[in-house]
Amino acid sequence: MRKFVALLMTAVMALALFAIPASAEDVSITLFNNKVEISEHLQNFAKQYSDKTEGVVVNIETLGGGADYSGNLTAKLTADSMPDIFVIEGDGDYKLWSEYLLDLSEEKWNADTTLAYHDPEGKVVGFPVAIEGFGLGYNVELLKKAEIDPATLTTFSALKAAFEKLEGMKVELGLDSVVSMGASVSGGTWWVAGHHNFSVYLGGGLEFADTSVVDKFNAGEVDEQRLADYAKYVQLLFQFSNQTVTTTGTYDDQLAAFANQKAAFIHQGNWIDPSLAKMNVAFEYDYISHPFNDAQEFKGLFLFAPSFYVINSKAAPERIQAAKDFLNALVYTEEGADYMVNKAGMVAAFSNITLEPAGGFSKALVRANAAGGNYGVFFGKLPAGTGQDILAPIFDFFAQDFSDAGMEGFITDIKGAAETVAQRQ
Amino acid sequence: MKRSKAWDAVFLGPSLIALVMVVILPFIQGIGFSLTDWNGVRPVLTYVGFANYQDMFNSVEFLYSFLVTLLYTVVNVALVNVVAFLLALLVTSRIKGRNIYRAGFFIPNLIGGIVLGYTWQFMFNDFFTALGGQLGIQAMQQSLIANKDTVILGMSIVNTWQYAGYIMLIFVAGIQSTSQEVMEAATVDGASYPQRVTRILIPMIANTFTISLFLTITNSFKMFDLNVALTNGGPAMRFMGKIVKSSQLLALTIYNKSITTKELAKGQAMSVVFFLVLVAFSLLQVYLSKRKEVEA
Repeated sequence: MRKFVALLMTAVMALALFAIPASAEDVSITLFNNKVEISEHLQNFAKQYSDKTEGVVVNIETLGGGADYSGNLTAKLTADSMPDIFVIEGDGDYKLWSEYLLDLSEEKWNADTTLAYHDPEGKVVGFPVAIEGFGLGYNVELLKKAEIDPATLTTFSALKAAFEKLEGMKVELGLDSVVSMGASVSGGTWWVAGHHNFSVYLGGGLEFADTSVVDKFNAGEVDEQRLADYAKYVQLLFQFSNQTVTTTGTYDDQLAAFANQKAAFIHQGNWIDPSLAKMNVAFEYDYISHPFNDAQEFKGLFLFAPSFYVINSKAAPERIQAAKDFLNALVYTEEGADYMVNKAGMVAAFSNITLEPAGGFSKALVRANAAGGNYGVFFGKLPAGTGQDILAPIFDFFAQDFSDAGMEGFITDIKGAAETVAQRQ
Repeated sequence: MKRSKAWDAVFLGPSLIALVMVVILPFIQGIGFSLTDWNGVRPVLTYVGFANYQDMFNSVEFLYSFLVTLLYTVVNVALVNVVAFLLALLVTSRIKGRNIYRAGFFIPNLIGGIVLGYTWQFMFNDFFTALGGQLGIQAMQQSLIANKDTVILGMSIVNTWQYAGYIMLIFVAGIQSTSQEVMEAATVDGASYPQRVTRILIPMIANTFTISLFLTITNSFKMFDLNVALTNGGPAMRFMGKIVKSSQLLALTIYNKSITTKELAKGQAMSVVFFLVLVAFSLLQVYLSKRKEVEA
């Protein structure tokens, strides 16, 4: 027995010798990823990159799927094993990690994206991992049958006329309602209204980086005319939706209505592409904007990057260089683009990448990003929990009663919400 | 062995340390946090005195949540106890298969509130409304939990379904501990079954009512998991000019304040008040019920 243990020990030690990297001078960097669903593909790309690149090894560590990423990053910091590339998700994370973020303003990829994360001084510190976005999704075939040209739906009046036309053809087209919308606190679709729809008020029709409306809102003020127009738009959406779905429906109910062609429009983002594929959606679908008044033509979609790669500024210079090179390789090599778009199924945030993702809404985002003229998504600039705790019940209540009186109430409530938010700043 | 302080300490120590560490210290710390502006993340605290308490008493949201919790408690305590008592009478009677019933009524209590919440959400929103549509019953076509006037009843029905079996077991134990002779004597004297139950059985098991009322009152006040999963506070309604969530009970309000909007100190102030109210109600109830108890 003793002999056996001794043998085993020797074997282990011998193996350990082999395990030491063949060339010890290699720069080995670590990317700490927070998306479980892409980890395998990212792993493969990193391996491919390491094999191709002399002297650099990129390791991928993944923690996500509801796990405490930020807490683990703190633990890594205290254990002195801070990764070279990690992920921040916006202003909250930025404040937490601001001392560790390298200035990336000079990087080449800045020329090809509008979605990088800027610190308050305007320096670029975050590399956009992917684009997510939304507009008003529509069923191409149903609109064709109704002889409505989606390209003309760029104003409130045009959209209203189209909704009315479809309403009249409901039986003929087999529709249950014109729009599939979610606003339910109990069903859990409050974020469709409280986050994304409200972003139409905050950023719709403005320049991409124009935060004036959200800044005003955070200071307790609203733009009266804009809010009145917006309230009418929300009313329109509720009027032409199935009220059971808006007030008690779940996410699945909302998607099913669109997937089963029971609704011609859906208020959702490109993240539903995989779900629609799973629901065996065979029809073609695309986005129009959210045209909430007649003052201008709305053609842009609402785009944002939900997370950003950042480089640890306290890492050794050669590691920083390797990390920068790796991020550039993601954007400017064929393998990088292939990994992001084809393997991981993401919408790349860079206009030089022309590969088309598989899903219909993702494709629409790629086209919109290349065309420009899009709108920013600013619900993340509201204080924590505003969408869920303050705005969500206001939309839920409006969905129950979307009469003109209900709309007056909605306008008053949104003003009240702005005041509440201002007090919390 | 002679009793000594040292031995007391040895035996008491482990539980006492655990109690102090996980109950008493956090409780005191919590009161401390309620006097600050802590957001739950920032390591720096600023002392703000009783500002959080002032905010809370001026908050329509808190007032509504407090009132609706009281309403839920009244409805729920009545419903759970009545159903549980009737079930207890059923399973202590000579009915066939009473042991199976006993187990069957208890089983819902073993299912977690979150699972129950989502299951019953489907029952209310899809199943009952579809059934109502098939049968042509107008009243059933509107989901109970989609209407602010009936959502509390809906929650209470689910909680009764879950909790009545547990309270039933307590009543069963109470009923079985009473002496059969008194009941038999009353039967001989010509008392009807309802008379025997209301005049003899209920007074004799008054102490059981003390326990079950205490349990149901505290359970109703602290309701959280079912609240999150079944309604998440919805539907919204207008109360004193402000929009509130019509079924958001106190525990969920505290959670949202502390975790969702990251105003942990304000949530903490609410839980301190919540604690005091809960203690007051429980003591009052036990005091009142005790007076009704008779020695059997």
